[in-house]
Amino acid sequence: MNATTVRVGKLARHLFFAAIALIMAFPFYWMVTSALKTNDEIWQSPPTIWPKEPLWSNFSAAWHEAPFFRYMGNSVFVAVSIVILQVINSGMMAYALTHMKFRFRGLFAGVILFGYMVPATAVYLPGYLVLSQLHLLDSYAGLILSNCVSVFSIFLIRQAFLQVPHELVEAGEVDGSSHMRILWTILVPITRSSFAVLALITFIDQYNNYFWPMLITKDPNLQLVSAGLRSFFTQGGAYGLKWPLIMAASAFTIAPLLLVFLLAQKTIMQSVNMTAGSSKG
Amino acid sequence: MSPEKTFVGLTNYLDLFSNPAFYKALRVTMLFCAGSVLPVILIGLGLALLMNGKLKGSTLYQVLLFSPWVTPTVAVSIVWSWIYEPEIGLANTVLDLLGLEKIDWLQDPKWALLGVLLVTIWKSVGWAMIFYLVALRNVPTDLLEAAELDGANAVQKFSRITLPLISPTTLFLFIVQIIGALQAYDQINVLTQGGPSGSTRTLLYMYYQSAFEAFQIGEASSVAMILVFICMLLSVISLEVSKRTTHYQ
Repeated sequence: MNATTVRVGKLARHLFFAAIALIMAFPFYWMVTSALKTNDEIWQSPPTIWPKEPLWSNFSAAWHEAPFFRYMGNSVFVAVSIVILQVINSGMMAYALTHMKFRFRGLFAGVILFGYMVPATAVYLPGYLVLSQLHLLDSYAGLILSNCVSVFSIFLIRQAFLQVPHELVEAGEVDGSSHMRILWTILVPITRSSFAVLALITFIDQYNNYFWPMLITKDPNLQLVSAGLRSFFTQGGAYGLKWPLIMAASAFTIAPLLLVFLLAQKTIMQSVNMTAGSSKG
Repeated sequence: MSPEKTFVGLTNYLDLFSNPAFYKALRVTMLFCAGSVLPVILIGLGLALLMNGKLKGSTLYQVLLFSPWVTPTVAVSIVWSWIYEPEIGLANTVLDLLGLEKIDWLQDPKWALLGVLLVTIWKSVGWAMIFYLVALRNVPTDLLEAAELDGANAVQKFSRITLPLISPTTLFLFIVQIIGALQAYDQINVLTQGGPSGSTRTLLYMYYQSAFEAFQIGEASSVAMILVFICMLLSVISLEVSKRTTHYQ
C-alpha cells in the first residue's frame, strides 16, 4: 500500500463514520428543532430543518404544564438513594463472597448466581403482591427498597475484589481490624474505579427506570420522570396538537443523562470492560 | 384477586398451551429477539472492525454512537413516535424523498414490529460496538502479523484468528441481548402497546397485560414461568459454552 491509498482509505472511513454518527444523533437533533417550532410550522410539508423563528418559550411552557420539576426531583432522589444503598450492599456481599470463609459459602454464591438468571420482569407480579402486603406501594420507601440489591452490582464488585491479593486482608486481620474496617479502608479504596462504574451505571438505570416504578406507584406525586413524561405524552391527548411541547419535555428529560454521559464518558465506556469481565464469573 | 385459593394443578399451563394468543406472542417474541439481536451484533461488529486501528477523532464517533444507550427508553421512544408520524413524520419524509411509498409505521400490523425493532437496534448498536472494540484491541497483533507472513489474506486472518478470539464477547452479547429482548417493555408500551392486532405483543407484554390489565394472575404467572425457563436455559447454555471454549488468555 502506498501513501495515497492509505490516505484515501482514512478519508473514506472518516466520511463513513461521520455519516453514521449523523444518522444516529439525528433523532436528538430532530427532537430539539421540533421543540422550537410553532404548531403551524411543525405540520408543514416538507418539514423545515431549522425553525424559521425558534420558539424557545416552548421549553418553559412544557416545564410548567406538568410537574416536571417534581418528576425529575423524584427520579434523582430515588436513583441517588439506590446508588448509596447498592454501594454498601454490594461491597459487603462481595466481601463475604471473596474474602471471608464460612460454611455454605458455595451454596450462598450459587443462590446469588441463580438470581442472576431469573429475568427481573418475571417476578414483577409476585414482587407487587409482596410490596402491597408490606404496605409499601405508593411510597418512596417501596421505590427505593425494592431496587436496593442488584446481583449485577454484586458480581461487578466481586470481580474487582477477586483481583485484590488475599494477603492484604490477612494483614488487616493480623492488625486486629474488623471486617468492616478492612472492607471500607483497604478494599474499597483499591477498587474505587469499579465502584465509580457501579454508581454511574446504577444511576443511569434507575433514572431511566419505567416499568417497575410505574407499576408500584399510582400517586402522580411519586411518579418518576419517565412515567411522568409518558402521562404528559398521552394526556397531551389528541397527541398531534402538542408535539412541540412533547418534544421539549422529552428534551429536558434526556438532557441530564446526556450531560452525565459527556462528563463521565470515559468511566461509562470503561464499564464495558468490567461487565464483560464480571460475566465470565 | 380472590382471597380463596384453590389448587388447580397444571390447568393454567394447559389453558395457555391451547390459547392461540400464546402462540402468536411466542412467534412475535422470537421475531423480536432475532430481529433485534442479530442486527445489533452484526452491525456492532462491522462498525468496530472499521473503527479498529488508528483513526483520529474516533472517540467523538464512539461517544455519538454510544449516546442512545444512556438515554431513557421512554423519552426516546416518544421522539421516535413523532418520527413515525404517518403524515409528515421524518421517516415518511425520507421515504418520500427516496421516491418510496409512505408507510403507516405503527398502525399497520405488517410494519409495526419493524418500527419497534428499529428503535431497539438504534439504541444498542453503539453499545455492542464498544464491546467489540475492546475485544478487538485484545487480539494480539503478533499473531496477525505471523499469519500475514505465512501468506494469509484478510478474510483468512479474520475468520481463523480474530473471530475465534472474540467469540467470548459474541457469546456474552448474544445472551445479554436475548435476555434483554425477552424483557423489552418500555418501547413497546410507548410505541404500540402490543398492537395493532397483537403484532407487537411479546410474551412479556402478554404477561403484563394479563397480570396488570386483565388481572388473570394464573395466566400471567404461567407466561412468566415460560420466560424464566427460557432465560435459565440460555444462561446454562452460555455457562457451558464459555467453560468449553476458554482458549483465550
